[in-house]
Amino acid sequence: MIKTAQNMKSYKKQIKEALADKFLRTAMGNFNTAYRENRIEVYKGIDFDDIRDQIAAGKDAALPRLMELFEEFKACAEAAGANVHVAKNAREANEIIAAVAKENNVKKIVKSKSMTAEETFLNDHLEKEGYIVTETDLGEWIIQLRKEGPSHMVMPAIHLSRYQVGDLFEKVTGRKLDSENIDKLVKVARQELRPTYFEADMGISGANFAIAESGALGLVTNEGNMRLVTTLPRIHVALVGFDKLIPDLKSMFQILKVLPRNATGQAITSYVTWIKGATECGSSPSNRKEMHIVFLDNGRLELARDPVFSEALRCIRCGACANVCPIYSKVGGHKYGHVYIGAIGLILTLFYHGKDNDRAIVQNCINCQACREVCPVDIDLPHLIKKTYRAVLDQEGKASVKNFLLSRVMKNRKLFHFILRKAYLAQKPFAKNRPLIRHLPHVLAKKHGYRSLPVITRTPLRDQWKRVRPQITHPKYNIAFFSGCAIDFIYPEQAKAMLDLFQKYDVQVEFPMAQTCCGLPLLMAAEEETAKELALQNIKAMQHVSCDYILTLCASCGSHLKHNYPKILKEAPERLENLKRFTDKIIDFSSFVKNVLNVSSEEFRTTRKKVAYHAPCHLCRGLRVIEEPRKLIETAGLKYVPSKDEDVCCGFGGSYSIDFPEISSEILKKKLDNVEDTQADLLVTDCPGCIMQLRGGMDKRGSKIQVKHIAEVIAEEKK
Amino acid sequence: MKNPDIIQLMKEKAEAVQAIVSHIKAIEDAFRYTVGITKEQGGRTVAATGLESNAQKRLKKECESAGLKLLEPPLRTYANEIHTALTPVDCGIAETGTLVLNSTSEDVRIATTLAETHIAILPVSKIKPDTAALENDLNAVLKTDAASYTSFITGASRTADIERVLAIGVHGPQELHILILEENKA
Repeated sequence: MIKTAQNMKSYKKQIKEALADKFLRTAMGNFNTAYRENRIEVYKGIDFDDIRDQIAAGKDAALPRLMELFEEFKACAEAAGANVHVAKNAREANEIIAAVAKENNVKKIVKSKSMTAEETFLNDHLEKEGYIVTETDLGEWIIQLRKEGPSHMVMPAIHLSRYQVGDLFEKVTGRKLDSENIDKLVKVARQELRPTYFEADMGISGANFAIAESGALGLVTNEGNMRLVTTLPRIHVALVGFDKLIPDLKSMFQILKVLPRNATGQAITSYVTWIKGATECGSSPSNRKEMHIVFLDNGRLELARDPVFSEALRCIRCGACANVCPIYSKVGGHKYGHVYIGAIGLILTLFYHGKDNDRAIVQNCINCQACREVCPVDIDLPHLIKKTYRAVLDQEGKASVKNFLLSRVMKNRKLFHFILRKAYLAQKPFAKNRPLIRHLPHVLAKKHGYRSLPVITRTPLRDQWKRVRPQITHPKYNIAFFSGCAIDFIYPEQAKAMLDLFQKYDVQVEFPMAQTCCGLPLLMAAEEETAKELALQNIKAMQHVSCDYILTLCASCGSHLKHNYPKILKEAPERLENLKRFTDKIIDFSSFVKNVLNVSSEEFRTTRKKVAYHAPCHLCRGLRVIEEPRKLIETAGLKYVPSKDEDVCCGFGGSYSIDFPEISSEILKKKLDNVEDTQADLLVTDCPGCIMQLRGGMDKRGSKIQVKHIAEVIAEEKK
Repeated sequence: MKNPDIIQLMKEKAEAVQAIVSHIKAIEDAFRYTVGITKEQGGRTVAATGLESNAQKRLKKECESAGLKLLEPPLRTYANEIHTALTPVDCGIAETGTLVLNSTSEDVRIATTLAETHIAILPVSKIKPDTAALENDLNAVLKTDAASYTSFITGASRTADIERVLAIGVHGPQELHILILEENKA
């Protein structure tokens, strides 16, 4: 059955196996690309941001009054002849359902798809009690026959090829089948399963909605099996999480606008069904269905009261967070969740299935924000994943040595910078006076050798500042420069290119010396307390400079300063005013040059060199800057050549590429392949982290394509 | 939205999900259509729900003269042998090409879940632009103490569970036909 890794060592082994599965990687990779392209089509004419704000607000308003909604639902449903039960946990839910089966002398059970039943491992329980349970959803039936868990919340057998399904169906039917023909395989399921509905005494379903004002269940399906499961047997049991309670039909219609679109790219599913109470049923002695609704708590009611994690209960199980995840697309669902799959799975696993099952998988998030962008209920998934990781560490009662050291060092800027300077000396034997380290010491080479690594500079930007500080007599704009560690200690030349350009546009730049690491790496390591301290240090450092903008060349720093600072400092309202003044001033290079300096093409040479662009996660999704860099490339007399999956992560993710080099390198490979397909001369991006990854990868594969920061390129092209 | 536009939208959206849409002028056209399709597909039985008793009789005659059997309620008796289901529907939603069918009666459910081919009669006057226009009607059904089963049906049953390849006709009907009935002749 489900074998989720309980520690990093076995998780790494599982990842290695998954990466070796060629079908899986191709299928998942194609899915990721196709899903994202199709999603744009199905949302045409719909204001996604607006509708998701409304749904999130509605869900948030419902969560504190779940019990109230439940009572309202129960009264209405019971008036129409349903029996409503509450199960505190998975075991109770399974026992309630088994007891209903026993009382009614049930022998066979048919099921339609229910993630909640997966959560409680209902089938295992019922089979142990002697019942014959048949899953009737095609994907669920396939994985039931294979004795596996789902690898996707909507398409549970997405990890399998038609040939694997064909072989399985041949075993089941004892007939030779044409596996090439998927239509025929689907018909096999239709024929094989049809008799089971008639033989079953009990049908079990889930529900997408429990509507309080009417006591009706709402179900969203495609195959038609749920309609049979809830019609033919004399008993119907619906297992429903408390989080499925919504106040009214209006709320359901609202969610129905996004659920099928996000889940399967449909405007609406084949069937949407409302079931209320005990309907007419010819196979029941009373001619009325025996109708039971079991509400599952299993931690939900406590979660609903949690100031941070209650957000996770907004989830409507569309599965989109897996569909767009670059890591899911490499390793598949069995290695990216426990029962619940994808980003939301990394969070919910802790609450529904315990820390042992979440310990390893929760660390496997690269923070690319792809899931957050498509989430139809606006859950800040990457943020909650880090919070969940922290909660796992806290429950374990021990911080890792890595976290302990990280926290100690990073709180003290001078100590941190001292270590970076020492690192310059330590790397010398490997760097051999070149800007990239191509060959790592043998112990590291196997996993980390997929990219060359940059060297730490001899003289960081802060030590050069007195010498390079611009002297503008009548500045048009005053900028405070937030360098971030990568520009300061690895790529000061990117900042110097920016200074050259700004000199020509009368932009004065200051470098507040007390600035330190933005704190994002700490948040990634779930060290939020230290991240908070760094945030305060940086806000203070910037306060002493009077400026129009705080500019950064690092997309990750920029989006962390602007969007994460308010999140992690929200318990300190007295600082809010300072904070808002600070975050309002944050700007990235491309937006400043394009929108503020408003540069025009006459000011640049016209080389029309072919330039591919990589959209950094934290620029296009974090800061939502999309058009500016691409337009800027064209304004600067270059030819922008679009590449496939331009806004998909490069696989860097800071410490992610060190923790999961095997996945990072696969993500990078796809990115570089796509860029090379464009036959560009140059690859441009606006984040030094991405440059580290992309340049290292290009160098390692001996590519002619140079990788540059957009500031360097724009400065070079300026007349 | 003007009436012709709504009808056109209903048609386009339904066809986009592989429903087969035709216009008819009278209920008899639906009977002929039903018999024709059933024969063409090699089916032998028809189940109809929601027809007035006179109409049911006329359909029976039409079926018998073509050598088909019209199954009489309760349909559970014949649940395994329904080829074509013919049902008037309560309304249409143009925005998504959806049919709305109150399926509280078990016969309606048996017919529309088990048939190979589902033929729906949709009077023009019952086509609404979107779900918002339907909220009150649906709530009127849901908010009484009576048990109920209401279905939105959009195209034939489908899956993409194997390699994400779309396959039509899984556990529900393999084909959905919509007959749009012109108002003045209804």
